[in-house]
Amino acid sequence: MLKAANPERPDLLTWVLLGLGLALLPVGLYLALSAPPDVNQGYLVRIMYLHVPGAWLGYLAFFVTFLYSLLYLFRQDPRHDRVAMASAEIGLVFMGLALVTGMLWARPTWGVYWTWEPRLTTTAILFAVYVGYFLLRGAIEDPELRRKAAAAVGVLGFINVPISYMSVKWWRSLHQTQSIDLTTGRIQMAPEMLQALLFNLLVFTLLYLAFVRFRGFLAALEARKEEA
Amino acid sequence: MRRVLLLALRDLRLEVRDRTGLLSLLSFFAVMLFIMALALGPEEAPLRRAAPGVLWVALAFMSTLLSSRAFALEVEEATLDDLLLTPGSKEWIYFGKLLFQLLLLFPLSLLALLMAAGLFYLPLERGLPLLLTLLLGVLGYASVATFYAGLLARLRGREALLPLLLFSLVVPVVLASVRATAGLVEGLPVAEVADWWRLLLVFDVVYVTAGALLFPVVLEG
Amino acid sequence: MLLRLAGVSKRFGRDWVLRDLDFALERGEVVALLGPNGSGKTTLLRLMAGLLKPTRGRVEREGKALLLPNPPAFHRRLTAREHLLYDLAFHGQGGDWAWALGRFALPSDLPLAAFSSGMRKRLALARLLLLFPDLWLLDEPETALDAEGRGLLLEVLKEARGKAGVVLATHDRGLAEKVADRALFLGEA
Repeated sequence: MLKAANPERPDLLTWVLLGLGLALLPVGLYLALSAPPDVNQGYLVRIMYLHVPGAWLGYLAFFVTFLYSLLYLFRQDPRHDRVAMASAEIGLVFMGLALVTGMLWARPTWGVYWTWEPRLTTTAILFAVYVGYFLLRGAIEDPELRRKAAAAVGVLGFINVPISYMSVKWWRSLHQTQSIDLTTGRIQMAPEMLQALLFNLLVFTLLYLAFVRFRGFLAALEARKEEA
Repeated sequence: MRRVLLLALRDLRLEVRDRTGLLSLLSFFAVMLFIMALALGPEEAPLRRAAPGVLWVALAFMSTLLSSRAFALEVEEATLDDLLLTPGSKEWIYFGKLLFQLLLLFPLSLLALLMAAGLFYLPLERGLPLLLTLLLGVLGYASVATFYAGLLARLRGREALLPLLLFSLVVPVVLASVRATAGLVEGLPVAEVADWWRLLLVFDVVYVTAGALLFPVVLEG
Repeated sequence: MLLRLAGVSKRFGRDWVLRDLDFALERGEVVALLGPNGSGKTTLLRLMAGLLKPTRGRVEREGKALLLPNPPAFHRRLTAREHLLYDLAFHGQGGDWAWALGRFALPSDLPLAAFSSGMRKRLALARLLLLFPDLWLLDEPETALDAEGRGLLLEVLKEARGKAGVVLATHDRGLAEKVADRALFLGEA
């Protein structure tokens, strides 16, 4: 991702992505707010336009961290570690957004802020894993050990996702009487809604790419200061 | 490899010779179970319902403590370097430390079952499947705990991170173990409980392998 | 070339402990590492052993290295016999521990917690002799040794020189002059 080992300022691609993302953000918001309300949920469904892209990008971000952690373990290139770290940080932001919007949406819909629904629970676990990732990074002074330990957590934490998901899903399925009817979460997508959702997904993706590149650039600057 | 077994036995010998250490661990464990029984009792039904969960909370605590102990002694005596200077790749240290914990955790699990039977009215008819559940679960928990405890051992004063790092990864183990235990106690057929066993087995294989492979990487530096 | 350091620098946080060090050691050589306290001798020995990685530069090593730290590191609750047996097993070697303990006049069945610091030093030397690495890295081995112990140390060093390479960090100039072929000085340039 980061081509130059010693950048002086963020490169053109980063600025383009950032500019495009920020410029399209209001468009996305407009589309979201002008899309028709849902048959069942009314205007509440509009949280979805933030929640779904947030969750998607969160998972993508952590997957990228997983990939670059693996790459670092094989290649020992500090650049890979910087990408992994940047992606994890941005991932936490998006994932946090998804969790909060999810909770805000859950209260009026299901009556509770939280439920042990498999995807929600797995998301919360993944969030905790990467909070741990940063706490660990903060605890290690030696730069090389820090990179290695973080990479290990990046790998161990992500391979946990499918196993955690399965375990929570089976765990929940045992409760025949569910106090929360998850079908009230279903929505029928009008074309304008799908359009708005996909557009916001695009905007979030652009912003993700831009933020990760930017954060990676900052990390390179930090590393250079440390080396001096 | 022979030295895996020898490392585990050596640590066991060291642990046994430190009489206060093992005793305090056992007491802590017993007190935990007592307090939970007091808090959740005295009616039989709620205690029995809570038993699987209580069992695994207690075992999780013990596993976390034991994993720190497995490395604390090396750090205290500065003997970790000696292990690192042995020939060959260092996965054997991971396996040795893991085996050491299992050698203590397995009998402890047995004791836990007996105490749960006494304090929490946990029926022990299906002793063998219950034991299998305990072994699979404890192995899964310890595999992750060994990795993190080894990593954190060299960072002074950061042992507090162990529970947090551990917790986020061992959720599947706790869920599966508790559910399997509860299922067995409720009289579910083994075929249904076997799903949970399979999940535990997958977790165990994945994390023992990943832990062993990544362990040498984080010990250097 | 048993050991080679090229352009090795090491920092901890913001402190550069070693800068641009070049060093080479052949089998059969004994090099004394001299310098005041805090000059980085222990760090350098650990780098040579491979326990630390350099911040810059390269360390190349042939064969097995062992480090004798100051003070020596032992499990107090084991006896000398047990400790040596475990060490031999971990290194996949056989060896006559009984002979070694006899030569260094050490009891085999006493818990190491009861050893004096001089005895621990001698046990560490016995251990090195049994394991006989290719590269011996000794951090102030003369401390805590009485006259007899120093005699043993000299014998051991002579034996090591025959088949291995030795780097010896020491404050004892006399010892250095007696055994070393050359010296490496650490400290302010």
